[in-house]
Amino acid sequence: MKWATRPGCHIDRAACAWLIRRFIDPQAEFLFVADASEVPPDTTAFDMRGVELSHHRGDCSFETFLRRYELDDPILWRIAEGVHEADLEDERYDAPEAAGLDMVLRGLSLVRSDHELIELAQPLFDGLYEYHRQAAPIDRKRS
Amino acid sequence: MLGVADQWVLLTYRLPREPSTPRIALWRKLRRLGALQLIDGLVALPLDARNREQLEWLADDVLEADGEATVWIAQPGSAAERSSLQRRMSAAAAAEYSELIALAKAAGALESQARRRELVKLRRELHRVRRRDYFPPPEREHAEQALAALAVTLDEEAVAR
Repeated sequence: MKWATRPGCHIDRAACAWLIRRFIDPQAEFLFVADASEVPPDTTAFDMRGVELSHHRGDCSFETFLRRYELDDPILWRIAEGVHEADLEDERYDAPEAAGLDMVLRGLSLVRSDHELIELAQPLFDGLYEYHRQAAPIDRKRS
Repeated sequence: MLGVADQWVLLTYRLPREPSTPRIALWRKLRRLGALQLIDGLVALPLDARNREQLEWLADDVLEADGEATVWIAQPGSAAERSSLQRRMSAAAAAEYSELIALAKAAGALESQARRRELVKLRRELHRVRRRDYFPPPEREHAEQALAALAVTLDEEAVAR
C-alpha cells in the first residue's frame, strides 16, 4: 500500500511511519505531499489536516492510528505518551523522554531527507519498543 | 526559539459557549504556546513551521467542537505595529521570568531537601517559559542566573558535608 504525509517530518510522522511498517503494512511505501488535495488515489494520507488518520480531539496522529487500528498493546501506548508530548507539549502525559526525542528527531531532520528519516526511525522506535518492553512490569509483558 | 519578526501566524476562532471544556482546553494550549491574544477570538504567534502547525491543529480542534476557525499568515501593517506586538510578547515573558526569580529567591530560605525539590520544579517551569519566549527580555538571563545561584547553594552544602 501507499501512504502519504506532509514533507518536513518530525516525531509524529516518523513514529506513524514506523507503526505502519511494523504493525499495519510491512510493504508500506511513503510519499510526501504538501496538501491533502495532492494525495493520489489508492493512497492513504496521514498526519494532514482534514484526513481521518490525523490529530483528533487532542490526540496526535500516532494515537489516532492506535485507536483506528485497535492496537491496544500497552507498550505502544507507552511510546505514544512520548510521541504526544514531543509533538504537542500539552502535558497530558508525564513523559520526560519527550524533550530528548524531540531534539533527536529535529536534529535528524536537519541532516537527512524525509525518506532517510523514516528509515532511521525504524531502528530508533524498534529500540524504544524493546526498552519499554523490558522496563514494563512483569504482568504487562508480552512474550 | 526566535520567530521571524515580519511574519505572523494568526488563528481566528469562535467556540460555542457550552460545553466549556473545549474552550478551556484551547485557552490552556494557547497559553502554553505563548500566543498573544490580540482581541477576543484572535491570537498571534511569530511564524515558524512549528507554530503554524500547532495553530492548524488547534483550528481543527475548534472545528471538531462545532466552532469556527481559520489560520492566517499575516504581516503587521507598519513597523510600529510590529514592535508593539514584540513588546507585548516580551513583556508577558518578562512577567513570567520575574515570578521565577522571586520564587528562586524565596526558595533560598528552605532547608536543603525542600530546596532541591523546588529547584527541580523551577527548572521545569523555566524550560516551559523559554519555549514560549519569542523575544527574550533581559529577565530571561536573570532568571537563569537566579536558578544557577540556587543550584550552587546545594552543591556547596554537598561539598561541606
